[in-house]
Amino acid sequence: MAKGKFLGEFEQVVLLAVARRGDDAYGARIRQEVEDRTGRGVAVGAIYSTLDRLVAKRYLSFRDGETSPDRGGRPKRYFRLQPSGVTALETARRILDRMWEGVRLPGSASR
Amino acid sequence: MNRPLPRPPWLSQLLIRVTAPSDDRRAILGDLDEEFAVRARTVSVAAARMWYRRQVMASVVPNVTLRIRKRRRRMTRRRGDGIMQTVFQDVRYAFRSFRRQWAFSFVIVGTLALGIGANTVVYSVVDGVILNPFPFPEPDRLVGVGTEWPRLSRELEFWEVLSPPEYVDVKAQSQTLEHVVMWDMGYRAASVGTEPPEVLFSGFWFDDAFPTLDMPPVIGRGFTREELERGDRVAIISHRHWQSRLGGDPNVIGRAMYVEGEPYTLIGVMPPRGLIYAMDLWIPIGASPDRWSRNRRQMQILARIAPGYSLEEVNTELAAIAGRIEQEYASQYEEYRGWRMQALEWTDANVRMIKPAAFALMGAVAFVLLIVCTNIANLLLARSSSRRREVAVRCALGAGRSRIIRQLLTESVLLALIGGAIGVVLTYVAVPVILASIPISLPIALDVNVNPRVLAFTAAVSIAAGLVFGLVPAWQAARSDLQSALKVETGGTTGGQRHGLQRVFVGAEFAVALALLVQAGLMVNSFVRLQNVDPGFDTSNTLTMRLTLPFSRYPNTEARRTFFMQLVERIEQLRGVRLAGAGNQYPPEVFSRNRFGVEGEAYESEEALPTAFFTLVTDGYHEVLGIPLLRGRTFTDQDTPNTPYVAVINEVAERRYFPDGNAIGRRFKTGGTDSDGPWVTIVGVVGAVHNRGVDTPPQPEFFGNSRQFPGGNQMYVVVRTERDPRAVLPAVQQTVAAMDPDQSVYAVRTLDDAFQEQIAPRRTGTLALAGFALFALGLAGAGIYSVVSFGVGERKREIGLRIALGASSNAVRRLVVRQAMIPVAIGGAVGLIGALLMSRAMAGFLFEVNGADPLTIGIVAAVLAAFAVVASYLPARRASGLDPVVALRDQG
Repeated sequence: MAKGKFLGEFEQVVLLAVARRGDDAYGARIRQEVEDRTGRGVAVGAIYSTLDRLVAKRYLSFRDGETSPDRGGRPKRYFRLQPSGVTALETARRILDRMWEGVRLPGSASR
Repeated sequence: MNRPLPRPPWLSQLLIRVTAPSDDRRAILGDLDEEFAVRARTVSVAAARMWYRRQVMASVVPNVTLRIRKRRRRMTRRRGDGIMQTVFQDVRYAFRSFRRQWAFSFVIVGTLALGIGANTVVYSVVDGVILNPFPFPEPDRLVGVGTEWPRLSRELEFWEVLSPPEYVDVKAQSQTLEHVVMWDMGYRAASVGTEPPEVLFSGFWFDDAFPTLDMPPVIGRGFTREELERGDRVAIISHRHWQSRLGGDPNVIGRAMYVEGEPYTLIGVMPPRGLIYAMDLWIPIGASPDRWSRNRRQMQILARIAPGYSLEEVNTELAAIAGRIEQEYASQYEEYRGWRMQALEWTDANVRMIKPAAFALMGAVAFVLLIVCTNIANLLLARSSSRRREVAVRCALGAGRSRIIRQLLTESVLLALIGGAIGVVLTYVAVPVILASIPISLPIALDVNVNPRVLAFTAAVSIAAGLVFGLVPAWQAARSDLQSALKVETGGTTGGQRHGLQRVFVGAEFAVALALLVQAGLMVNSFVRLQNVDPGFDTSNTLTMRLTLPFSRYPNTEARRTFFMQLVERIEQLRGVRLAGAGNQYPPEVFSRNRFGVEGEAYESEEALPTAFFTLVTDGYHEVLGIPLLRGRTFTDQDTPNTPYVAVINEVAERRYFPDGNAIGRRFKTGGTDSDGPWVTIVGVVGAVHNRGVDTPPQPEFFGNSRQFPGGNQMYVVVRTERDPRAVLPAVQQTVAAMDPDQSVYAVRTLDDAFQEQIAPRRTGTLALAGFALFALGLAGAGIYSVVSFGVGERKREIGLRIALGASSNAVRRLVVRQAMIPVAIGGAVGLIGALLMSRAMAGFLFEVNGADPLTIGIVAAVLAAFAVVASYLPARRASGLDPVVALRDQG
């Protein structure tokens, strides 16, 4: 759609984190999911910046939900995958699969 | 969980608050605090703090870029559909505020509808009559050719100015003109099929005019070259005649017609509005142009400017052609010396006489709208006090000044557009009524209606008006001080300033109203004087009509003379008729003139001969019209072609050409003392009548006896009756029919009507101007009334105090009225200067009245002053009746 037809790597990661978290996909959970799965530290600001871009592309929708005592009364912002976001993820995966098909990287054991 | 919750590092928190976009700030802080709390509980507070700081430091850059990205997105949205959205918002808001103050809005829209409607009416008339009177394509390239004859002391004219040989010269020599056509005009009795004949103003053509007009006939065709050369009996009728007499029947082509009893074939119908000099019938002239004499200048030329040339180039070339003709023929025709041909846009040539009057009315009505706008601006200023809080609240909620101004301007433009729309509806209703009441005789088919040009004009005027009356109040409202406005409504400093502005506006209104009223007063004064002009004879109970005898049936002078003499005799026998006579012209529209030479006078050259109006009359003509005989005698049946030729002259001619008063017995010849004509002896002097209309002094006029001079085939019959002149018409018509069933009278009107028609355009203009001026006066009165009322309302406390301190109610009234009179006086003075400047431009419309007529100006000033006093006295009386206790307690 917007910025080229390819999803950026980090965009893909964040989208997948939202998908994995399902109904529990709010800021802190998404950040943790990314951190856990990628094994790299991620700043909350970077997460929100990417989420904003994905919302602007209409891959995600969001709503402000309930709060909890730890949050100092501030609501959680929940994100939800939209159909166009699903399509974008599937496309990205198909492209990668096709690109990987029969690829033998020198010195690599996998595939 | 008993321990107090650990707090995240406040400096880092602050950093997030500063850097994160406002709509994400709470979610981000919430997430950070949540994870911080979990870490503090599960790991350690110190580690949690460390984590928190790292997170914040790593988030600063993404936060800032996110913020920039969001802002940029907002900006583009605002620039795109954002503007339309705010306009819609403003419009919706405007309608809501109209509904809230419907009475106020109603007054504004009503005055606007009248003001803009008046402008639309005048413009639609100007559009139909002056700007676009013809449907022909590229009207600016369609030209008529006029002539000026210094030797004949005639000004530039476009009507009956050229002879066929001159037309042949122009046609042959001009490169810059194409489709040059010439025609002659006259009246012909015509009928299609078995319809009774009707006398139509007709054109006799040397050419086919359709290529020149660049329009085809609606049905049928134009004349072919062969038809024109042979003079075939084929005819083309006007669209309006086709519609009114033949019901627009599409099958009329090829039908038989009769023109003066001769059989013709109808071959075409002119396009709608495609009239030239209102001719309803075109037929070929049936004669070769080079067989005519050079000085028989009774025709006119129409042509198209050839592609690639300008009007200036046409005129340069026409000057050259005129010069060549002068060289070749001046020895034979003296009048060619110094003559000039000039091409003029056909539209201009037709409407130039009424153009100044039309534009003067446009100006007047524009001034009226200006007063309307001023008045509404005043009302809006007064209302702005009640809207101050509303505006202030909007400001406090973040609306910028420009946003407020835009909102208020949207409201005023909207009001103006609504007013304009109603004005257009009023125009629809008013124009037919107005046109019906104007007996304008114009050489065009009048087509005045609300067309796209008129609508565009009205829309433009409405928007301009909305901006004009909305700008100052909007600017005032938007600059008002927020704090004081939000506090209790007291008339603060802005109130005073606003009131000052209102007084300026009132002054301006009175200035414009005075200037307009003075012009209207001068016009009314002129009109009254015109109406009171004594025409010099009795115009009542006199019927006039025209009769044209066809040359084919009455080929010689004797036959025509006999017919007219007998007709007059028979009409005189009719019951109800006192006297009857005939002449080839009659006042107030005497036009035919002749040069003459008096016996014993020496003239340097032929062109130095004096020129006077020359009218051929039957004996009895002067008695019928009641023109008094001063000396000598008028004509009798003793004057015959075989007795010495005699003439009667009017007083003015005697004074000018026989200043020693011995005219009777002197002899003259028309065309000069050495012409071949007979000597004519002056036998009588009659009183001078307004032979050229009441607005022109009586002109020298000679009368010849129709028994002696050869006359044309057209005469006007004049009948003096005992009672209602129109009652004798049927009997007169029967008399004509009894003498020749194919002839009928036309152009029937009473002499009173003839004189009224002459001043009718002036009456229309005067009435319109007077109406506009009175409207302006009413508006100015309403303006001062509202401003004084408003001022009194704002000064309740002060006035209450004065009353409490012992001021009498008289003193209070005097105070209020006196203060109201200051702007009126200043405005009046400015208006007086404006009026004097305007009078100069209006001088051409005035009759025996000076543009600075002290009486008119005095009366107007007095009326205006009285009006202002009354309008301000009403609120003043209310002020003087204030109860000081109530007034002082009241916060207002």
